[in-house]
Amino acid sequence: MPLVPSRTAGYNSPVPPVSQTIRVKVLFFGRLKELAGQAEDSIESTEATTIEQLFALYAARHPELAKYRSSVVASRNQEFAAWDTPLRAGDEVAFLPPVSGG
Amino acid sequence: MVREPIDVAAQVRHVRAPEDGATVTFDGFVRNQSHDRPTLYLDYEAYESMALAKMREIGAHLHEKYRIHCVAMVHRLGRLEIGETSVFIAVSAPHRAAAFEACRFAIDTLKRTVPIWKKEYFEDGAVWADGELPPAPVATPRAKPAS
Repeated sequence: MPLVPSRTAGYNSPVPPVSQTIRVKVLFFGRLKELAGQAEDSIESTEATTIEQLFALYAARHPELAKYRSSVVASRNQEFAAWDTPLRAGDEVAFLPPVSGG
Repeated sequence: MVREPIDVAAQVRHVRAPEDGATVTFDGFVRNQSHDRPTLYLDYEAYESMALAKMREIGAHLHEKYRIHCVAMVHRLGRLEIGETSVFIAVSAPHRAAAFEACRFAIDTLKRTVPIWKKEYFEDGAVWADGELPPAPVATPRAKPAS
């Protein structure tokens, strides 16, 4: 199971950190750019703390994106990244469909 | 990464040196059909900053792994007509075996890991080409598909 901070913490759980608003740059390419209706976005979010949650925000707005989730690879600051990678302020996150260069 | 036609002869001149004995090149160009449908033209796009970083990684890896002298790797973006070169790789080496192996490794790795996409235009519409999903780190173990 992925380790995700519990949002339903009981009374004896540590006090959760004060939620921080961070700004990240988001890029879409190829088919995903068409489905998201944009190539680039800058988002300020307290809801998304991982790449997975960031994708979910867009998938909620554009249901077509959700269908392609299994054939999307994410990158953070120009490096391929796991879906549970935490977001940091100033990150550049890109959602990439299967590559077809050459 | 260029938007103009690739000068393949210039790339070959660039990599070969007097101490080399061989240059192996790969010239990838636009096919006139895809799955038996006549292609009109292709349109390439890239995540340019990352694509350049990944191409440099491939180059560095080639120098570590093979006894080669020099590598040139160029990919063209934008609209390309049938027969135009989309990707060109030239590898020079003192001996041919290393140059062949390195060139093969370079194009295979580029096609799997460099964030570039092509859209194929036909008489009756356009589709994004089927591609390969680049290997990305997986933080939590996942079952591998049986194959």
